[in-house]
Amino acid sequence: MSTVLEQIEQQIAKLQNKAVKKNTGKIRSVADGVAKIDGLSDVAYNEMVQFPNGVIGIALNLEQDEVGCVVLGDVSKLKEGDEVTTTGKLLSVPVGRALLGRVVDALGNPVDGKGPIDAKETFPVEKIAPGIMARKSVNQPLFTGIQAIDSMIPIGRGQRELIIGDRGTGKTTIAIDTIINQAKINKVGLASGDPKFRPVYSIYVAIGQKNSNIVRTIAALEAAGALEYTVIVTAPAADNPANQYLAPYAGAAIGEWFMENGEDALIVYDDLSKHAVAYRQISLILKRPSGREAYPGDVFYLHSRLLERSARLDGKGSLTALPIIETLAGDVSAYIPTNVISITDGQIFLETDLFNQGVRPAVSVGLSVSRVGSSAQIKATKQVGGKLKGELAQFRELAAFAQFGSDLDAKTKAQLDRGSRIVELFKQPAFSPIPIELQVVTIFALQKGFYDNLDIKKVTAASVALREFFATRKDALLTEIRTKAALDKDLEAKIEAALNEWKSTYNG
Amino acid sequence: MAVKKQAQQLARQLFKLSFENGSISAERVAGVLAYVEKTKPAQTVAVLKAYERLVAAEIARSQAIVEHAGPIQPDAVNAIGALFSKKYGRPVAASAKSAPELIAGLRVRIGDDVYENSVAARLGELAANV
Repeated sequence: MSTVLEQIEQQIAKLQNKAVKKNTGKIRSVADGVAKIDGLSDVAYNEMVQFPNGVIGIALNLEQDEVGCVVLGDVSKLKEGDEVTTTGKLLSVPVGRALLGRVVDALGNPVDGKGPIDAKETFPVEKIAPGIMARKSVNQPLFTGIQAIDSMIPIGRGQRELIIGDRGTGKTTIAIDTIINQAKINKVGLASGDPKFRPVYSIYVAIGQKNSNIVRTIAALEAAGALEYTVIVTAPAADNPANQYLAPYAGAAIGEWFMENGEDALIVYDDLSKHAVAYRQISLILKRPSGREAYPGDVFYLHSRLLERSARLDGKGSLTALPIIETLAGDVSAYIPTNVISITDGQIFLETDLFNQGVRPAVSVGLSVSRVGSSAQIKATKQVGGKLKGELAQFRELAAFAQFGSDLDAKTKAQLDRGSRIVELFKQPAFSPIPIELQVVTIFALQKGFYDNLDIKKVTAASVALREFFATRKDALLTEIRTKAALDKDLEAKIEAALNEWKSTYNG
Repeated sequence: MAVKKQAQQLARQLFKLSFENGSISAERVAGVLAYVEKTKPAQTVAVLKAYERLVAAEIARSQAIVEHAGPIQPDAVNAIGALFSKKYGRPVAASAKSAPELIAGLRVRIGDDVYENSVAARLGELAANV
């Protein structure tokens, strides 16, 4: 609504030949991307201010004698005594469908060389999160395409699920896999012409990352045909800290447009540790009092106000958030990780040890949880994978005894054997999400003991072959599983028959 | 850091003492300067600089500088002064200043506020929007 009013106001302003009132100030000093300004007596908190040469800034510190502004642009163009004017506007970014397939910076300017973005609307970067009344509980699944997650740590539309782990444990890969899976589901769903189908659009926010990494991510999304359903917001490591601080909020604003317009969106913040560091830098330069680990006092609010903006709205759409946090030496009890863990609705914890053992994705079942739980799962997954988490947790406990192999009783041996088969089954290469119906079939085969005669090392290969068999030859059955989303006796018999057919031909 | 803050606090106190009947009085300012010279507080230069900035900002608040591109009648300048006195609820003295760079029109500065209706501003706006 506010944008409509803004348009009318702009039209009126054009017609009136009146003097324009501006509130001005003068730069007193510029240091480390922050300008201290004399004057600007009418400036509001978080208001956009205009520096010369088209550079803009945001008023973040309103003090008795001066105003502290972070500069969003080239600081080298500014000098002492330059005039600064207020704009009367809060920082806004372009939003809408026109951004899909584009790469933009923290202010919504295109950086992909594909020309200007024809966005009709803008949304404020900072916005109060939806209240209690506007929300609806999360009960629609958002499939990541990763078996270990969809079956044990399900994510729902409107949920905030943290991805946490050390460097190089595959955090980004999980997020990218999820984006690719949404694109695959969108393609199938939109082609089917089902009026009830709700596509999920993705927003990937890269904060403080190397440009080369961002390029690799874009290439992976493009190769998978997912870029057309994705908006990428970048604030790379070389960008100034103000842009790195703003990028997640800009991404959230872009996602909110989909949510407000009755559509579903997924946003990935990669990663919020670097975001906190960028904010710490700004706060220290602005001379705000520092607290634990030199982070400012409001570092919790920094992330809580961002993540609270992800929600499922009653009568509208949803915004699902996958924030990423990097830990040091697996320490989840550090300051920023504990903050974000307490804000989110669960976490996917990735372990270096598992990663090095070749268990990829290296999801630690014991430490990972989804507080929304099975309400965000389809019935078929619940039916086949309901007990998997417990079985795997037991396996991890028993695994400590595995080294005394010969002294174990038959029951324990059987549990260990089953556990290792589940671990093997959940191994999945990067950028190859598995559709939910194929996941159901894969796990159903496990429950019915189709992998029991195989050598443990060959389980992964067998499951790949099984999925290939179903994808190429049992399309009708897969469609039935997808549309029914639950297994009845008839369907179970059909799957079992198909599995027997596969087993008779498979000689791995 | 603490020293700078102390200097600013002192400057603010001195600034408060410089008022008479709601406006800066030359007599009081002279008195303040005499006091500073006599007592020589720590960071005298910083105190005086901060004091000067506060006084300058206060004086600017009651002065309307009317920048004009073409000729302007003294009556018009006075009328502008009267108008702003009414608008701001305090006496505002208007003074004219020639500014050919405006091309045509006026620009009035009162303290931090700038009221502008000039060709140069419109051209600037146009250039920014193209």
